[in-house]
Amino acid sequence: MGTMRIDGHDIPFQENDNILKAALAANIEIPYFCYHAALGSLGACRLCAVEVASVDPTQSPRVVMSCLEFARDGLNVSVSAAAARQVRQRVIEFLMINHPHDCPVCDEGGECHLQEMTVACGPPYRRYRGRKRTFTNQYLGPLVHHEMNRCITCYRCTRFYQDYALGDDLGSMRLRNEVYFGRFQDGPLTSPFAGNLVEICPTGVFTDAVFRQHFARVWDLETAPSICPHCSVGCNTLPGARDGTLRRMRNRFHPELNRWFICDRGRYGHQYSEHIDRPLTPRVRDEKVSYREALAAAAEQIKAARDKTSGLGSTREDLESNAMLQTLLNKLSGRFATFSDPQIETATVAAVAALQSSGGAPSLAEIEQADAALVVGDLTAHAPMMDLALRQAYRAGAKLAILHSGPSLLARFAATTLTVPPQEISAHLLRLHEQATAAPTAPTAPAPSNKHEKELADIAVYLTAAQRPVLIGVSETMAVPEIAAMVQLATALGSRAKLAYALPGANTYGTILLTPTTSTTAMLEAIESGQIQTLIVIGNDPLGDARLGTRWRAARRHLSTLIVLDCVATATAEAADILLPVAAWAERGGTFVNYEGRAQGFAPVFQRTEPLPNTVEVLADLAHCLELALPDAAAVLSNLFPGYQAPLPGTLGSALSAPPLTMQTGTTIGPASSAHPGHWQVALASWYGDDPLASYAPALMELAPAAAALIHPTAAFKEGIEDKKQVRLRGPAGTVVLPVQLNNDVAAGTIALSRVTLTQLGVGHGDLLELEHIS
Amino acid sequence: MNDKLDRQTLQKHLAQLPLTHPERRAAVVPLMQSLQAERGHLDDRGVEEVAQVTGLSTTEVEELATFYSLIYRHPAGRHVLRVCDSLCCSLQGADRLLQAAEQYSGVSLGKISPDGAFSILPSICLGLCDQAPAALLDGEAVGPLNEAALQVLLRRLQEVD
Repeated sequence: MGTMRIDGHDIPFQENDNILKAALAANIEIPYFCYHAALGSLGACRLCAVEVASVDPTQSPRVVMSCLEFARDGLNVSVSAAAARQVRQRVIEFLMINHPHDCPVCDEGGECHLQEMTVACGPPYRRYRGRKRTFTNQYLGPLVHHEMNRCITCYRCTRFYQDYALGDDLGSMRLRNEVYFGRFQDGPLTSPFAGNLVEICPTGVFTDAVFRQHFARVWDLETAPSICPHCSVGCNTLPGARDGTLRRMRNRFHPELNRWFICDRGRYGHQYSEHIDRPLTPRVRDEKVSYREALAAAAEQIKAARDKTSGLGSTREDLESNAMLQTLLNKLSGRFATFSDPQIETATVAAVAALQSSGGAPSLAEIEQADAALVVGDLTAHAPMMDLALRQAYRAGAKLAILHSGPSLLARFAATTLTVPPQEISAHLLRLHEQATAAPTAPTAPAPSNKHEKELADIAVYLTAAQRPVLIGVSETMAVPEIAAMVQLATALGSRAKLAYALPGANTYGTILLTPTTSTTAMLEAIESGQIQTLIVIGNDPLGDARLGTRWRAARRHLSTLIVLDCVATATAEAADILLPVAAWAERGGTFVNYEGRAQGFAPVFQRTEPLPNTVEVLADLAHCLELALPDAAAVLSNLFPGYQAPLPGTLGSALSAPPLTMQTGTTIGPASSAHPGHWQVALASWYGDDPLASYAPALMELAPAAAALIHPTAAFKEGIEDKKQVRLRGPAGTVVLPVQLNNDVAAGTIALSRVTLTQLGVGHGDLLELEHIS
Repeated sequence: MNDKLDRQTLQKHLAQLPLTHPERRAAVVPLMQSLQAERGHLDDRGVEEVAQVTGLSTTEVEELATFYSLIYRHPAGRHVLRVCDSLCCSLQGADRLLQAAEQYSGVSLGKISPDGAFSILPSICLGLCDQAPAALLDGEAVGPLNEAALQVLLRRLQEVD
């Protein structure tokens, strides 16, 4: 703490601040390239030169790099001094020697830091008339475009990619005037955070390859504060649209959540809204109709079915839409549910109940401060930015323990990795709890195989010794006993321990607060027994559900009318009798509640050339056709949540106060059992682009892992299964033939499969499966 | 066959390394040197082999390989002559020497002479200012050189093999 003077102004600074950081905090502009708040100072670009007066009046002032000089009490700094200005001008002139003068055709133009700095402090004319240094560009995959000639060697890319995000396939090559940033050879960047290069690069070396396909000048883009719809973290984003189409996604700073970065699912998943198969015209059976006709047809069916109408909301629909559907169903005396898989529903109830009772989940900024963490499941695939936060904790020395069944990118950084079959996770957690409390409690838990005793003891030691331990579970691949075991462990570790769950949708937390207990099971059984004739589905895909898809598809035959409101062409939307296309996220406003219970508002960014109504509007219009008086969404929500005020887009969001949920341990229904359930356990092998919306983003999907049956080498050897050999998998919904891929990150007796394969087989994470050799 | 040779070379060197390099990754430079000694330069497959043995990624090995000017990522002649072109040697005529070398070999600097005998590279200061203009021939200091002495040197290299 102290005060220094910059050009006659007194500027406060914090301990260990450098001059640049303190100046920027005080809104004093010192030009810079290589400094970044998340990456710190390097002194590579030499642009942030300032003049510092000497304490000794007989000595002349000197020019220093403000990013490398600590702020000190009484320091007298001048940004405007002629000597400093001259250094900055020469630095720009020097950097511009090799930089191509291609601004008119460069994607970065208009938001290029180099362009701005050159205009602000560079020389107006170019003196250099010689040849420019040129490089060969690399193919870096479908997401990031490479243009090395524009590089000014600030090293921000490798500092982000290697040091911050812990990737190892982008580096700085060669030396002197030939420094090159790229990969060993051409090929897609493997980091789930590679897209941040586009924003971190101060010029146009790394640009957005997806935006490039349908480019617009950045000053022509319509933007508004939005929230990422692709997972439960709720990163703040800034979509850019032009001429009625969504073009790109950028990070928007949130001090407690994503800060300066977003993951590639969030950056490139937006292409779902421009997918060629996106439903844009309402449809009644096979006929394309007008919006009014579709509404009238829907109203007619609902009137005919009357109290036999029910509604299925969704974890990826906003709070307003789910609440409106629930209100409409109340008026129609129908059932309301929000999940297509009851097991995931009960697990989510348990997870949210646990979060409510544990005093709230840690923000990403708090996860970064953890000094020990236990992760249950593949966090990278379900909440990539939580993974990035844990990587920061790891960099600061935190010990990570990973308890998982299938491949997990985070395992690379773990001090202890426990790879166990899905059905043994719970027992391991209970044993860990015993170790952590050093007093055996639950005798019902089968003791895990002895070989993991030492690892569990290690984890127990560093979790109990930690000052800020964090426990994070992936609720989609967990059952209630596992969630309960994590809560028990968190309680044992005391109030310093923080508990978080990555939930399976952008608005899962908000949705579950509206969901009546065990409503999915009840609804499915009601459909099967003919008590429901008309089903309204908003943004959900029960027919495409991994575990229960077959059962939903069979149940669908009992429905006389299936009304679907969605913005992507899911299996359910395809099967709809009446399909009402709705606005995608960037095309509408609404509220998502993230994994912390933080309600965040998002604003409509643009309208399509032929505007689509949002879900709330469709439901209100439907109510109108039914001659029902439906209050507006704000009234509905303030009725549901006492004191509720819609969070304004662009603000930090506010905690949603809701009555506490209770953890349900009741029975849930499973898939139709097959004759021979088999002895292999199924693990979901997800990846960072895996999400119902992002799966319609073509560029991102180019990076999806090839379908394969992932099996541990030892388990494969025991069963006489060879690498790359085809095997036949038999599940309740069908059989699939896949090549075997040996993978050390898969538990013994477990087959890790992609979500698509699980749907084809009709099984979920933790279910049993039969494997047949093909001779 | 080359694959096996590389593997054996690496294994041999690796076996000797634990004493001097308890951290596997630290062995990356000696491993690159040994492969280069075996093959004249470090090719792409060599980078992959070194990555596999040290546990570094190929990009990380490439970063190091391209940083060190004594590691050749492109094929080089059987002999490599590095002519210093820093201050002292430049004042003593290193630039003329490099021109003469290009003329004699008929290929530009960094390329391999048509008979494969040598490659000539400019080099930053070799610390041989007392022998300016100086050069390093296969790691041995030579100097002071003049155009005639250079030609004799290069002819001898062609005759040796």
